[in-house]
Amino acid sequence: MSYLRGMQLADALAVVLIVIAAVAFWFGNAALSRAEDLKALYWLLVGVVTVRAAVQVARPGLKA
Amino acid sequence: MSPNSGSDVDADEHANAKPTARAMPVLARIGAIGATAQASVPGLYAWGVTVAPAAWSRGAPLIAKGFAVAGLVALVAGISMERRWGIRARYVAVWGLVVTSAVVWVAAPAALGPLRLDAPRGVAGAVGWALFAFASAAPALGADAPPTARIVDAEPLRPRTHVRRGDVIYIGAAIVCAAALQALGWSIVVPERALLVRFSTLACGLALIGAATTVSLARHTRAAPRSTRSRMRSALVWGVLLVVLSALGVAAWWR
Repeated sequence: MSYLRGMQLADALAVVLIVIAAVAFWFGNAALSRAEDLKALYWLLVGVVTVRAAVQVARPGLKA
Repeated sequence: MSPNSGSDVDADEHANAKPTARAMPVLARIGAIGATAQASVPGLYAWGVTVAPAAWSRGAPLIAKGFAVAGLVALVAGISMERRWGIRARYVAVWGLVVTSAVVWVAAPAALGPLRLDAPRGVAGAVGWALFAFASAAPALGADAPPTARIVDAEPLRPRTHVRRGDVIYIGAAIVCAAALQALGWSIVVPERALLVRFSTLACGLALIGAATTVSLARHTRAAPRSTRSRMRSALVWGVLLVVLSALGVAAWWR
């Protein structure tokens, strides 16, 4: 619990974004295996953008 | 003094005594024999895969069988002469086997034709001859060194850093997610689609693990920590893109 207390809001947001990315990747790959290419492209794109957002939120020392 | 002390001493002497040939491990027993004997094992394998089938193939002359047996005899003679003649016994084994094998192949050329020699056996024979050449050229393996010889007296190695508990949770969860993605797409019939899904799940898993590692390591950086507002601003573009994509998805779903 002390670990969670020391976590910044941005760290928590980064973790949530990675979880969302994992879910998006799951939907994307499931759609890809069903040959629903448009849906797959959409979900994979959402996953990539979410992963990128998570890294940008967490990365220290970067200017906006 | 205990009444069993005499038998204890005997037991210690037994434990310190040289291990018998039966008790020695296989590698130690091979190490105890000479180089020719060690090389004879792959030599026998190469002979069995490439020479014997040729000599005893249909239509092979008697001379082929005779030279095949002579090659085997040369191999055994090399082993038995090694203790007395040393390295010269190796010449008998190597050249005896090689020359007699060559004669067998010349005498029965049809046995090596593509119709009789299939590819796996050809590869196995080539590997056998390569191993025989390597074992004949290399020095003999020595007996296994005692365990104390392998111990280096020095301070124990210290890790440069320790993995913190939070990092293990981050990366472990990402690995679980990446592994879960591998459960998808195993019943696809079309091979190209199946390959595409495998590639995609692999790439997505790597992206997740990479992102989790970055997020986890970013918490321990020595640089001055940024404020939450500054971190949000740096992710603004990606956040806007995510909102746009979400809005598009919702709009498509409502239609």
